Amino acid sequence: MRSFMTAALLSCVALLTGCANLGVEPWERDLLAKPAMALNPDPIQSAYDDHIYFSKEASSGGRSFAGGGCGCN
Amino acid sequence: MQLKKKHKKKAIRGALTTASCTLLGLSNVAQAENAPWQFDAGVLYYSETDRVQAIEPVVTGKKDFGDDRWLNLKLVVDLLTGASPNGATPTNTPQTFTRPSGKGSYTIDANETPLDDTFRDTRVAVSGSWDQPLGDQLKGSFGANFSTEHDFLSLGASASLAYDMNKRNTTLSAGVSFESDTIKPEGGVPTPFASMVPAGSAQPRDASDDTRTLVDLLFGVTQVINRNMVMQVNYGISTSSGYHTDPYKILSVVDGSTGATTDYVYEHRPDSRNKQSLYWQMKYHLTEDIIDLSYRYLWDDWGVTSHTLDATYRWDLGGAKYLEPHVRYYQQSAADFYRVFLIDGAPLPAEASADYRLAEFTGITLGLKYGTQIKGHDTSVRLEYLSQTGDSSPSEAIGVLQDQDLYPDLKALMLQFRYTF
Amino acid sequence: MRSPAKAGERFGSRRRIGSSEKPVTSHASQSINIEHRADYWLGRFQAMASPCEILLEIDDAKLARRLTQLAADEAWRIERSFSRYRDDNIIHRINHSHGQPVQVDVETAQLLDFAYQCYELSEGLFDITSGVLRKIWKFDGSDRVPDAKQVKAMLPHIGLNKARWQAPYFTLPEGMEIDLGGIAKEYAVDRTLLLLQQQSNASMVVNYGGDMHCSGPRANGQPWTVGIEDPSREDHPLRLLQIRHGALATSGDARRYLMKNGKRYSHILNPKTGWPVEHAPRSVTVAGASCTEAGILSTLAMLQGKEAEAFLDAQGVQYWCVR
Repeated sequence: MRSFMTAALLSCVALLTGCANLGVEPWERDLLAKPAMALNPDPIQSAYDDHIYFSKEASSGGRSFAGGGCGCN
Repeated sequence: MQLKKKHKKKAIRGALTTASCTLLGLSNVAQAENAPWQFDAGVLYYSETDRVQAIEPVVTGKKDFGDDRWLNLKLVVDLLTGASPNGATPTNTPQTFTRPSGKGSYTIDANETPLDDTFRDTRVAVSGSWDQPLGDQLKGSFGANFSTEHDFLSLGASASLAYDMNKRNTTLSAGVSFESDTIKPEGGVPTPFASMVPAGSAQPRDASDDTRTLVDLLFGVTQVINRNMVMQVNYGISTSSGYHTDPYKILSVVDGSTGATTDYVYEHRPDSRNKQSLYWQMKYHLTEDIIDLSYRYLWDDWGVTSHTLDATYRWDLGGAKYLEPHVRYYQQSAADFYRVFLIDGAPLPAEASADYRLAEFTGITLGLKYGTQIKGHDTSVRLEYLSQTGDSSPSEAIGVLQDQDLYPDLKALMLQFRYTF
Repeated sequence: MRSPAKAGERFGSRRRIGSSEKPVTSHASQSINIEHRADYWLGRFQAMASPCEILLEIDDAKLARRLTQLAADEAWRIERSFSRYRDDNIIHRINHSHGQPVQVDVETAQLLDFAYQCYELSEGLFDITSGVLRKIWKFDGSDRVPDAKQVKAMLPHIGLNKARWQAPYFTLPEGMEIDLGGIAKEYAVDRTLLLLQQQSNASMVVNYGGDMHCSGPRANGQPWTVGIEDPSREDHPLRLLQIRHGALATSGDARRYLMKNGKRYSHILNPKTGWPVEHAPRSVTVAGASCTEAGILSTLAMLQGKEAEAFLDAQGVQYWCVR
């Protein structure tokens, strides 16, 4: 399972970087420029979620650094 | 057709020149040096049924120092009260436990999950980062963080780089972070697997404090797919060494045939942990609404593997108002050294913990967020419901334990307010 | 030469009498060419329905081509983003928003801020929502003048004060339209010059159909001599201007009018009344620190009709008025 997942996701990465025709011209960024389209549009909310799930689960990180910084786990 | 002001003509040229300069960004360079701080604040109310309650206000500020250089500062205050499972199993008789300080004890009724209610604390954390361009397509970010509570201190630093290519359609990023934690448990660091002794007697303690360090690496690719869609894939690897045990958690030692509790021992975890994760996220802009989907797969050398699936739908209501339903599905496998209990007389494992957070369980979160603007300031309110369920009747239950709920299900409500100003 | 002083006509300024509005299609000429003159390079391309020229005091052909391409790309970008005739830009989204708020990007926000300031400074004479008047006024030399009822019916759909602008959300009531044609060409001239100045210290002129901005005097201290077409002058269609620094913008009526019952209706419409301005000059050329500023002043001067010269005197700018 683990090696399959790794292979699948790494090939996605390779595919993405290999496709130089993916993407948009600078004037086509109107939708992407919206604040709500940022990958992390609400950092305070993400930090709250990260903190809650870090203290209730055995997993952390992925989107950003995995460290905890608090004594809750 | 009348034209006003037939006689004296107003001189508007000065104002017009200023307006034109603003439009062409000609005075913007001077303005950036005096750009005001932008603040963002939030408060979270977290409440578990019969267990932990927390209030966490947060305030962040950021300031543009011109040329795309930013200083970000954050202050977090975390107020915790309530009770948390101590790792012992419920049983058919009342149970008495010694508090971590060794100076008192508490009694739990029969058939109740043992909860340690000495769990109250205030945590204060500050962090800051400095972002700046390092080259034509390269941006750097450097941060430091500090967190303190009465039994825990954490110091950390991080650095990351982001490189844009393909007309900013592709961004490669890499980051590293270091963290050094000092754990100073109330009453001292318990001896691993030592039996719990009654309050007032000399407690089995090894030291007054212990430490651990973490190093984290994160690599990512962000790719714009088309005008509506952007994707990100991250690979993270993290290694920590030092004290990982929870000094307040114990395990029940039970009789091999009746299942009655004969002893309580302090838990012990390995002194190192290596985690890896793969994370994928996608955002898709429909006509007005936005879909956010992410998946994380995590595995480590403690035997834990987890899947996290997160989906959010931002329903645009027009005029800066939106409604955002949210679903999160989490599933994890148990750590290798997770034990529901230990058997009296059986050889002790090298490590063992009954902490429910290392068990096999599934967590589902359902939430709804409403956002709007008040006087041009973004504000929102979010309500979330988290439910974690594990195996209450695991196959290894013996005797009286077969009638007990051996996994303390968690149900929590979260209310969050946000305001930007 | 550009025509009118009516906010909303700039993109179509080179229309001849009798033609209908033609959308700027994406297959309009997207090529540039460069020519070497005696002591400078001339880059040329077509944008915003005008012949565009970049005059560069350099002697490097490759640089001339690169700078001209940079200028053309920026002009085409502004045209694509702000042309009223396209169906894929923010202007189209705003004009088809049916009264719903539209979130705009930073550049559009800056242009809206500027349009509002001009609206206030001109006490409503410069109004980017006045373009809807073209639906009833078609200046084709005929005698089809709208009647008072038709004009009165249009007035509720004009007035920038009726729109709601709270950055980054712009809300335009149903039935209204905005048209940035009255600012876009001059804005493009100024932005292009700024872009080119980042690439070269040489003296240069950006001239889009008569709206121009010069970066500074030539090496020998001499001014640039720029020729612009002036169809209002039957005898000398080509007018020569000398420019040393700063910007020039011209507003004119390009002989477009309606004639009914012996009365001549000029093509410059007052957005507050819906009727043409009477006794407007044939053309006004204003000098300013930026093309944007000069353009607004020349537009407003035309709208003053008889008082054009008095208005420009009060502003303390250099100008040339032709009646």
